[in-house]
This record gives sequence, C-alpha cells and structure tokens, in this order.
Amino acid sequence: MTTPPIRRGVPIVAACFVAMVGAILLAPLVGSTTISIARVFDRAVPFADNIDAQIFFIARLPRAVAAALVGGTLAAAGVVFQGLLRNPLATPYTLGVSAGASLGAMVAITFNLALPIGGVAPASLAGATLAVAVVYALATVRHRGFSTTVLLLAGVTLNAFFSALILFVQYMGDFAQTYRALRWLMGDLDVAGYTPILTALPLVALAFVIFAWLARPLNLLSLGADAASTRGIDVVRAQRAAFFGASLATGAAVSVGGPIGFVGIIVPHLVRLVVGSDHRLVLPASTFFGAAFLVGCDAVARIVLAPIELPVGIVTAIVGGPFFLWLLVRRR
Amino acid sequence: MKLAGWITALALGVIGISPAQPRPTRIVSLVPAVTEMLFAVGAGDRVVGVSSFDRYPPEAATRARLGALIDPDVERLLALRPDLAIVYGTQSDLISRLTRAGVPLLRYEHAELADITQTLRLVGARVGRDGEASRLAARIEDEIANIRRQVAGRPRPRTALVIGREPDALRGIFASGGVGFMHDMLEAAGGANAFSDVRRQSLQVSAELLLAREPEVILEAHPPEGWTPARVARERQLWRAFPGLPAVRNDRLHILTDEVVLVPGPRVVDGIRLMAQVLHPGAVRRAAGASGATGYPVRGAEASRPSREP
Amino acid sequence: MIRVHGVHFGYDDAPVLRGVSLSVEQGDLVGILGPNGSGKTTLLRLLAGALAPDAGSVTLDGQPTGIHSRRALARRLAVVPQETHLAFDYSAMEIVLMGRYPHLGPFEVEGPADLAIARAALETTGTGHLAERIFGTLSGGEKQRVVIASALAQLSAGADETSSAALSVGERSVLLLDEPTASLDIRYQLEVASLLRRLHDERRLTIVFSTHDLRFAASIATTVVLLGRGTVLRSGPPATALTPGAVADLYDIDEALAVPLLGT
Repeated sequence: MTTPPIRRGVPIVAACFVAMVGAILLAPLVGSTTISIARVFDRAVPFADNIDAQIFFIARLPRAVAAALVGGTLAAAGVVFQGLLRNPLATPYTLGVSAGASLGAMVAITFNLALPIGGVAPASLAGATLAVAVVYALATVRHRGFSTTVLLLAGVTLNAFFSALILFVQYMGDFAQTYRALRWLMGDLDVAGYTPILTALPLVALAFVIFAWLARPLNLLSLGADAASTRGIDVVRAQRAAFFGASLATGAAVSVGGPIGFVGIIVPHLVRLVVGSDHRLVLPASTFFGAAFLVGCDAVARIVLAPIELPVGIVTAIVGGPFFLWLLVRRR
Repeated sequence: MKLAGWITALALGVIGISPAQPRPTRIVSLVPAVTEMLFAVGAGDRVVGVSSFDRYPPEAATRARLGALIDPDVERLLALRPDLAIVYGTQSDLISRLTRAGVPLLRYEHAELADITQTLRLVGARVGRDGEASRLAARIEDEIANIRRQVAGRPRPRTALVIGREPDALRGIFASGGVGFMHDMLEAAGGANAFSDVRRQSLQVSAELLLAREPEVILEAHPPEGWTPARVARERQLWRAFPGLPAVRNDRLHILTDEVVLVPGPRVVDGIRLMAQVLHPGAVRRAAGASGATGYPVRGAEASRPSREP
Repeated sequence: MIRVHGVHFGYDDAPVLRGVSLSVEQGDLVGILGPNGSGKTTLLRLLAGALAPDAGSVTLDGQPTGIHSRRALARRLAVVPQETHLAFDYSAMEIVLMGRYPHLGPFEVEGPADLAIARAALETTGTGHLAERIFGTLSGGEKQRVVIASALAQLSAGADETSSAALSVGERSVLLLDEPTASLDIRYQLEVASLLRRLHDERRLTIVFSTHDLRFAASIATTVVLLGRGTVLRSGPPATALTPGAVADLYDIDEALAVPLLGT
C-alpha cells in the first residue's frame, strides 16, 4: 500500500458531492402539485403566466438550495462540536445555540416584532449570539484557557434555562401565536425566494473557512489536549475556533430553517462508518451528505401528505430517532 | 319522579343549560366573542370578569382579567363568586374544577357562521335577555342575507384568506381552510376560498401551494396591535415576491386590521361587510351611520382600503 | 542540550516544583524518578515546552523553549503520554501519520515519503503488522508502542533530508515519555524497556522519561534524577545516585527496606 489512508477516502467524498448535486437537481422535480418539466423550461410562455415555471423556480428550487445549505451546515457543525467536546454524541444543539436562536424567534413571533430587516431571522440570530456569548463567558470566567467540561455544563444549563424561557414566551402569546411558534420549532425550509439563503450565506461561508482550517487540529484533539499541544497546535485557539465557528454555522442554519434535529448527529455517524474518522474526510463528506439528506427529507415532507406539508423536523426525527437508539445500543 | 328530574337535570347539564335557575348576576366570560354578546344584549353590567384578550366593548376592559384559553386564573375567577361562567369546551381541566366548585357553566365551541347567532340566542336565554338576543340575532341574520344578495350574481374571486404569517416575511403562512366561521364569512362576502378543499379550519400554505392555487385576491386578517398604515404599506409589498399571482398582478392585496373579521361575535356582520367592500367594491352599501349592527362604530375601515401607493 | 534552571511552577495556589535545576545532554537516557505527586509529569511538560515556568528558565540549545513556534518545537521534542484515550476510531497508521502534521504545510496532505516514514516507525517499534488495526482494539503494550512510533515519525526528518533511511530521527531530537510502563503488564514493560534501549543505543536518540518504578529506571537509564519534595534531591548515573539512603529519602521509607528494591 503506497497511498496514505486519506487518499482512499477521496472517492467517497466525491460520491457525496455528486449525491448533493443530484439531490438539488432532482428535488424540484417532485412536489405536491403536478407540473410539466417541458412547460417549466418553455421560453415561449412569459414567466408571469407560467405557473409551472413559477412553482419550479420560486417555490421548489430555492427550497432545495435552502435544504442543502441547512443540511450541510448542520452536519458540519455536528462534526466540529463532536470534535471539540470529544464526544460522538454531541449535536449542534448541545451547547445551547439553537435554544437561543429559538428564543429569539419565539419573541419575534409572539410579540409580533416587525423589524424592517426581515422579522424572525435576525431575531433568531440575535438569540443565538446571546446564547453563545453567555456560554463562552461561563466557560472562561474562572479558567485560564478553555475547559470543555465547563463548556458542556454551561451549554446544558443554558439549554434548560432558555427552554424554560421559550415556554414562558409561548405562554404569554395567544393561541394562534403559540401555534405558529410551535410550527416554527418543527422546522420549515419553505424560503419562497433566495433572500433568507443570501442573508445566511456570509455567515456560513465564514464558518466553513474556519472548518477548513480546523480539520487537522480536530484530528489531533481526538488524541487529547496535551497530545495535541505537543504535536504543534495551539489547543486553546483551536477550541475557540471550533466553538465559535460551529456556533456561527448552527445559528445561521437555525435562522433559515428552524431547529431541525438529528441531521447534526446522524450524518456524521453514517459518514464515519464509511470513511473513518479523519476529519479532513469527515467534514467535507458530512457536509455534502448532510445536504443531500436534508433535501431528501424535505422532499418526503412535501409529498407525503399533499397538499398540506409535514414539517421537515418530523421527517428527520422519524428517520433519526430509531437510528439514534440503534447507535446508543451499538456502542456497548 | 325525582329520578326523572335528576336525569333531566343531568342531560341538560351536559348541554350546558341549567333548568329554571334564577338569572345570573355575576357573570364571567373567558370567550371574547361571548363577552361581546353579553354586552350587546344588555347584560354587560352583570359581567364581572373577562379574558385577557377582551378588548371590546371598551367597558369590558374595566372588568377583572382572568386569563384565557391556555392559562385561566381559576383562583381569581372563583374569588369573584360567579353564578355563571362561560368557558371553552376544550378547557376540560377548568370545567371539572368549576363543576366541583358548583359554578354553573356554559361551554362554548368554535364553529361556523350560523352558530354565532345560535350561540347569541343561547346566551341571551341563559342570562334572561331572550328578547334582546332574538332581536339582535335576527337583525344580524338579515344583514348577512342582505349582503349575500348584494354580491350574488357577481363572479366570486378566488381568495386566499391569510390569518397568520411571520412578521415581515412570507413564511409560516397560515390560511383559512374550507371549514369554520372565517371561511363562511368569506363565502358570505362573495369570495371563493382558494383552499376550500382542505377540510380544516386552518392550514399552513407553502409557496408551492399558493402558486398552484393562483388566488385572484389575497386578504390578510390581523388583530390591530402593531399595524400602522406604514407597516401595512410595507408588508403589502412582500407579496411582490410572487409576481405571477393574479392577486399581485392586479394589486388585489388587502390587509385587514380590524378585529371584526376575527371575532365570531355580534360584529361579525361588520366583518363580512368589510370583506365584501374589498372583494366587490361598490356592490355593498355601508350600513346607516357607518356603524355596525350592534350600534357600535366600526373601526379600521380606513386601513382596509387598498393602498394608493405604487 | 536541555537546561532547566531554578524552575518554580505551581497550579493555581499549590506549588509543585520549587527550584528545580537539571540538564539533559545529547545522547542521554534520563529517568526522572519520584513518588506520585512529586511533579514528574509537570516537569516533563515543562521540558517539552507545553508549560511555561512561573520562575526560572527552560532552555533548548541555550534558547528559551518559549521562543520557538509550537510546530518547530514539535519537530524536535515529542511526548508520549501515559495513556492515550481516543475520542474516535483511528487506525494505528493514522495515529502514526498524525505525528507528521508538524512537518506539513497549511493544507498539505501526507505524501508517499511521510507514509514511508510512518511505516518505518511502526516497524521500529515492532508494530508494523498492526498498521490497519483500529487503535482502540489493541492491547496496552501495542497501544504504547504505536504512540511511540507516532512520536518517532514526529521527530523524523522530512524526505528531502540527506539520510537514506526512511526513518531518520536525528541526534538533535528528544523523546519524552510520561510513565511509559505504568499501566502495562510485565511483559509489555520489558518490551518497551528494550525498545527504548535500542532507540538510544542504535540511533543515539536522547530520551527522558518519568517513572515511579525503581527497577525500570535503574535498568535502562544512563542518568537518574531523583525528584522529591518539589526539588531535585540527587542526580547522576544509577550506580552512584541510587543508593539505599537516597531511595529511602525519596520515598520516605526505612533504609533497610530500600535495599531489596534495588536488587543487585
């Protein structure tokens, strides 16, 4: 064998990429309404009169792109949080970012805040930022450096606290607002245009730049903080980068589609089963496969109960719940 | 005979009517629509407690606040020593507690347009204002029939009746399905519900569904809080994201911010009239004196006019 | 090569090292001996440059270890911890290849030369046949030897250096091991001991290890450093430094009991 192990994983990463592209191209072909592909691309019909084209280009295609963006981002964030906390059971939501984002969204929905910059999404990002700031402050207040144990405790505590606040905010709303808030929490990728995607894109791009830099450090962190340090990486800097990068990614993803669960844990696990644990392979493969996975789940959500839709979070939960149980049982 | 009497009492108790009771003098109502009815039939002075969402008539705001559907304040309610409590039929916990405390109950269920006047008569009978209730109910029914006549024969525009969405975004859109009083209001006002085939009171409408149904009119109905004319104008522009919709092309987008279209109470006829004025301009005459069937002035008629801004 | 001069170090309020001085010359095989809690691991981390002393200095070739970048330091000093617990499943080969990271550019990937170095490192520690095995499935002794192989790969020069052998661990490299035999059976202890001896004798590798095992220290070290009560009590070749008196003082036991511990 003259090839380093990492090269053996490259075809799989490429296959995941192809799966992602395929999913984005195929998903707009299916939906609750029957449309004719020929008519969609028929240039002779003006766009304003071409319902099939409008459904394809306004309703379905942006939605597939959003699903890919959110799925890929959540999967990658899951990988990074698992590497940071050195625990394969960590999820993007373990440290409270999603609870913060959800609280922001609940406040916006319940108190009907109409900020001129697009309503719920900025409120959700603000909530996520608050959660990240609080958790980070707690994790570093009495320690030089960065304690992942305290980070975990702070995150779990914040989750509980923010969840209580979320319930409180829902309680204050009237019935309709509470109902809408609950539906938001189940996840919704119906972006109806590219604006939410373009708003989240700079944050996601920045997060992925950080992830690219983190791939090798995450491998070394798996050996332990001391072992990583003596192999040449600045452990605290890498941990900080992982925490902020993954939180940024999670906050952006949740602000677009709500807190969609299970993607951040199922996908990294499935990918590791096939590709091994080298983060230089796991990160890109999880990103692409996560994108394809969520596009698929969203397609199912759209079709299963047509013309009404199942929230996508329910589909990922139905797929993910049994999978998660199997994981727990399998790990001795 | 005593047994028959008990059985009768039990049966009537299930329906929510207590036989031969003295007329109640301390009434609490957790249902805003029924509160309006109480005031409309002249029993308002006997209302001692209302829900946290009651805004109309203004006198109702002076009564004690007792929570609402999800969070009724049972202790406060009982402290008022009511001799009639009007609650939602789904508040089973509250109902069992009040029954144990011996408080006579009237259970309310959300239903269809025709049930509004039914409930009005029922409530009127219950509080000893049968005459006023019957007269008011008849007037409401006449008015509604009147409106139906005025719009009959006109083509019914396919209408999406949006009852909720995320602020400042076209996401999380909820619309009225083919069931319930809002759907009935729309039909009475001369519109055709674009989602009448969905047998639910409300459904979440995806972009795809909206595009597929090609509504000719989009009506949004929201409670007035927070809706300034500036906001109405701004949020109407959101729908430009769907340039192909007939409603957008013909600028038939209306945001109604008067609660008369949302409360299944005595002012429902004002709500229907509001909708009809928007769906069929000129076909429906304003009621005399620009006041509603109940004699109270109708707010919000201005906000509902299509914006003249480009 | 490495000089520790008057170093003080403490964690929060608890002082651990109070004025430690020692020097490690090139080609030494140094055993730092002391009871648990004497600060052996801390001293090792200071030697590796992973910790900075509160007072005093640690120098490598005359310069404070702090001025080197972590990567540069990692290419000269490699640490083998007492135990390695992985968060995820890696193969032995992947673990050894991680030792090459300090030699790779920002987005560079290991090449055939790095693979050759890794394979040679595994062969040197007698674990070549375990390359594709998952690390977590190995025995204690096998794990320890794989981690040592990873450290050797870390210290090895790159493919562009002038050596003809794949694994060229230079004379300027230092291998630091924290309690290398603490959690191992006798058999694996002997394996590791003979491996370290071989690395020292055949490749002139400078090795520093910490241990509380007298016989292990006495058997392979060229120099022993007795670390007790936060300072160096004695240092020198085992024959002269490991007297019953010194051992009794170090472990706070009766001198009479120390004699059989040293064997003959």
